Amino acid sequence: MNFFSKIFELFSTEKYMEIIFEGFKTTLIISVFAAILGLLIGTVVALVSISEDSPVTRVLKAICKVYITIIRGTPMALQLFIMAYVIFTIRGFPEEITAIIAFGINSGAYVAENIRGGILSVDIGQTEAGRALGLSSRVTMFKIVIPQAIKNVIPAIGNELIALIKETSIVSMIGMFDLTMAAKIIGSGNNMASYVVPMSVVALFYLAIVYLLTFAIKRIEKRLRASDKR
Amino acid sequence: MISVNNVFKYFGDLKVLNGVSCEIEKGERIVIIGPSGSGKSTLLRCMNLLEQPTYGEVWLNSQLLTPPDPYLHFDVIKKSKTFTLLLEQLRAENSSLSEEELEQMAIMKIKAEDLLKKHEGKEYKKSLKEITVKYGIDINLARQNMGMVFQHFNLFNNLTVIDNLTLAPVQLGLKTKEEAEKTAMELLKRINLEDKRDEYPSKLSGGQKQRIAIVRALAMSPDVMLFDEPTSALDPEMVGEVLDLIKELANEGMTMVIVTHEMGFAKEVGTRVLFMDGGVIAEEGTPEEIFDNPKNPRTVQFLKAVL
Repeated sequence: MNFFSKIFELFSTEKYMEIIFEGFKTTLIISVFAAILGLLIGTVVALVSISEDSPVTRVLKAICKVYITIIRGTPMALQLFIMAYVIFTIRGFPEEITAIIAFGINSGAYVAENIRGGILSVDIGQTEAGRALGLSSRVTMFKIVIPQAIKNVIPAIGNELIALIKETSIVSMIGMFDLTMAAKIIGSGNNMASYVVPMSVVALFYLAIVYLLTFAIKRIEKRLRASDKR
Repeated sequence: MISVNNVFKYFGDLKVLNGVSCEIEKGERIVIIGPSGSGKSTLLRCMNLLEQPTYGEVWLNSQLLTPPDPYLHFDVIKKSKTFTLLLEQLRAENSSLSEEELEQMAIMKIKAEDLLKKHEGKEYKKSLKEITVKYGIDINLARQNMGMVFQHFNLFNNLTVIDNLTLAPVQLGLKTKEEAEKTAMELLKRINLEDKRDEYPSKLSGGQKQRIAIVRALAMSPDVMLFDEPTSALDPEMVGEVLDLIKELANEGMTMVIVTHEMGFAKEVGTRVLFMDGGVIAEEGTPEEIFDNPKNPRTVQFLKAVL
């Protein structure tokens, strides 16, 4: 019964709940804005890497390739440290923004690869049919290929968003106060002196967000697949 | 109408077309036959530049679709550095020949040995550009006049039937949405599929898809239709309905180029047959000449195998 009474204690103590919601807020803010930033960066990078060859796009493509290689090849924690201790070192610079930029840039690299794969997975015949009718490559891309690619990409993007949300838990490493940090503080000796209860509760919070997100993605997928039904 | 001029197409080391030339006049119905891998489809796809020829030119209504091929223009070759150097060399070697003969020799040598390089000087570049400016046409504009029908239909999977038919005319500003829908409905009525207007392609049979793909091309009112094995991906019982529609168009006088394995159909509908083998046109003639009295042993062999 000790476990359950501790849970009751946690939920009924205002101080603890405040700590949890404070951390929850930070986690949500970083996740949402980093996801938006990541999707934006990812879309742009994907479009550049599949664009037709020209002197300008060749340079841009090289930049995108380097970006993807570096981001995917180094640990997220290191990227976060570099962002916090090397790039945004100004005193008083909002930590949230540092974290959003670090996670957004990281997520962008993965999203870009997902979108690129999705676009390449659309049958080349679709592009050929569009071009053969006299449509420009741009119109063909935006009216025919991308709408079909989105369907293929949604599950992968969903995975990436879920991974992103959970990965934000490392912001405590640069001294930020997020949901995971909240559990640690509540569990520490000064407070409840038991880690198992706050950590289980916080785990439920993460589970809830991820579950809601999964549900939303499934709905979107279902709607987009309407044209595939036989 | 379409003029294919000494077209070569290489995919890396694979030489698919090895110098194909043909003229297609208005009202003609050209049927291209030949064994698989002989370059039939590639030739067709070079006509609307879905494949960019490695060498050679493609013309549509006296407008140049490909970049100019310097080997087809004497005056361009004459402006190149290679020509100037070669001419000097030849002049020194053969003092007995006239200037004209020397020039002829140089051009022949350059052509035969593919001597032109990327950088041949300003004059050369300028004269190539002059040809493009004079005859060149935007490929997207040219393609509006060439309908294409694919082996695998390639209907736009994310659009309903009616949107498949109206997308290009509306996007290209040729028709308003209402006009395009009106034309589209007339075309659908013609093939008895007006009840499918709001279906997605995934719900249609192969024969229905291909007939819709044909009228999608017709919605652009093209001058010429290119058919790339239109019945090869169909179940046998659906071949008839598609061939009937193509025959109908033929009777209306549509210019067409058809790559097909349906020999009976080829004989019936074609005004001229091209037999391709090894990336060249091995034999050409009227359907009677090719099917009843073939001259080339390869044609004989091929027809024996398929008929």
